[in-house]
Amino acid sequence: MSNPFPKVIVFTSPYCSWCKRVKSYLQQKRIRFTEVDVTKNSSAARDIVRRTGQQGIPVTLVNNRPVIGFDKSKLDRLLGIR
Amino acid sequence: MMNEQKTHEKYDVIIIGGGPAGLTAGIYSSRAGFKTCIIESGVIGGEAASTDLIENYPGFPDGTSGLKLTENMEKQAKKFGTEIIYDKVIKIEKTNQLQKGKYKILVTNSGKIQTKAVIVAVGTKPKLLNIPGEKKYKGRGVSYCATCDGFFYKDKKIAVIGCGNSGIQEGLFLLRFVKKIEFVEFLPKPTAEKVLLDKIKEYENVNFHLNSALQSINGDGKSATGITINDNTTLKVEEIEISGVFIYVGLNPNTEFLEGLVQRDKNGYIIIDKNQNTNVSGIFAAGDATIDTVKQIATAIGSGARAAINAGHYTENTN
Repeated sequence: MSNPFPKVIVFTSPYCSWCKRVKSYLQQKRIRFTEVDVTKNSSAARDIVRRTGQQGIPVTLVNNRPVIGFDKSKLDRLLGIR
Repeated sequence: MMNEQKTHEKYDVIIIGGGPAGLTAGIYSSRAGFKTCIIESGVIGGEAASTDLIENYPGFPDGTSGLKLTENMEKQAKKFGTEIIYDKVIKIEKTNQLQKGKYKILVTNSGKIQTKAVIVAVGTKPKLLNIPGEKKYKGRGVSYCATCDGFFYKDKKIAVIGCGNSGIQEGLFLLRFVKKIEFVEFLPKPTAEKVLLDKIKEYENVNFHLNSALQSINGDGKSATGITINDNTTLKVEEIEISGVFIYVGLNPNTEFLEGLVQRDKNGYIIIDKNQNTNVSGIFAAGDATIDTVKQIATAIGSGARAAINAGHYTENTN
């Protein structure tokens, strides 16, 4: 049974088309999330690199577990979406 | 509605791909009253959506971002009734359904879907170099998307591989963040348009390595830390320390799924006639995945409109 209220953070930038795709998918599935624009928050960008080694966005944290890019199957699994 | 594919749903026109050509086809087809859907496996807007600044699309004297432009195209297509399904078309069934007047069946990851006419507007994807380090450091120093990843290289030195329009355009975007760019071009001269080359020449923090091949992307196991290049004439090998590599060495069409059905040239581009017809009756193609040698948003738009109008005629004549 998945957590009914997962903590979801999406790291984005205003220019990123794949970030838009992640956000619209979460909205469509009615998943509440916090968006962090890395272009306005350098420490968030450093935090992504530290946690994931990933130097790019989108990155989504679901209860602190990272999802790189728009990985629908991993998002579905971590969020309990069928 | 979006994303929830309805099995056995029947459409007049299905457009595979939601870049500028596909969105334009959607606008024309749905506005003309045809039941239309776009099936997109990635992001709406395609490669164009990742372009920071588009200066040569008419109607925007100050330029516009690819994301904004394609978002507006998407809104316009939806306004006229185009449905958008996020799914991947695996194949178009090669059965007697392909006869004129019959529904064609598209097999997707989620099931099957029927349509009278198909417009293939699948666009292209970045070409890989297939050199050591490229795969290992993808996302960890190797990128194909400046607008997605550029910010992570703030105040760092990077390399941009390829001095065509994409390489120089994306380099101009990256110069907002990075300390210096080492451009590497295989050919003796950059192939980008003069207007872009004139702009990049205004920067002092750029360096060009022409007539040079990228041999490898080097790293420390965690991320990329350098590149090795080889001068094509002198054969001199040079190692350059960088923190990131952005690769723009061309594009490949996303047309593998048409193998054995739709005729393509040796590079995979779809062969079309002047009305965007392919060799299969009722299957049309538009945009960058076709043999049209000019790959511009403006030309993709025109081909999308032409494909939709002709797909409409086909659909009407098959009732």
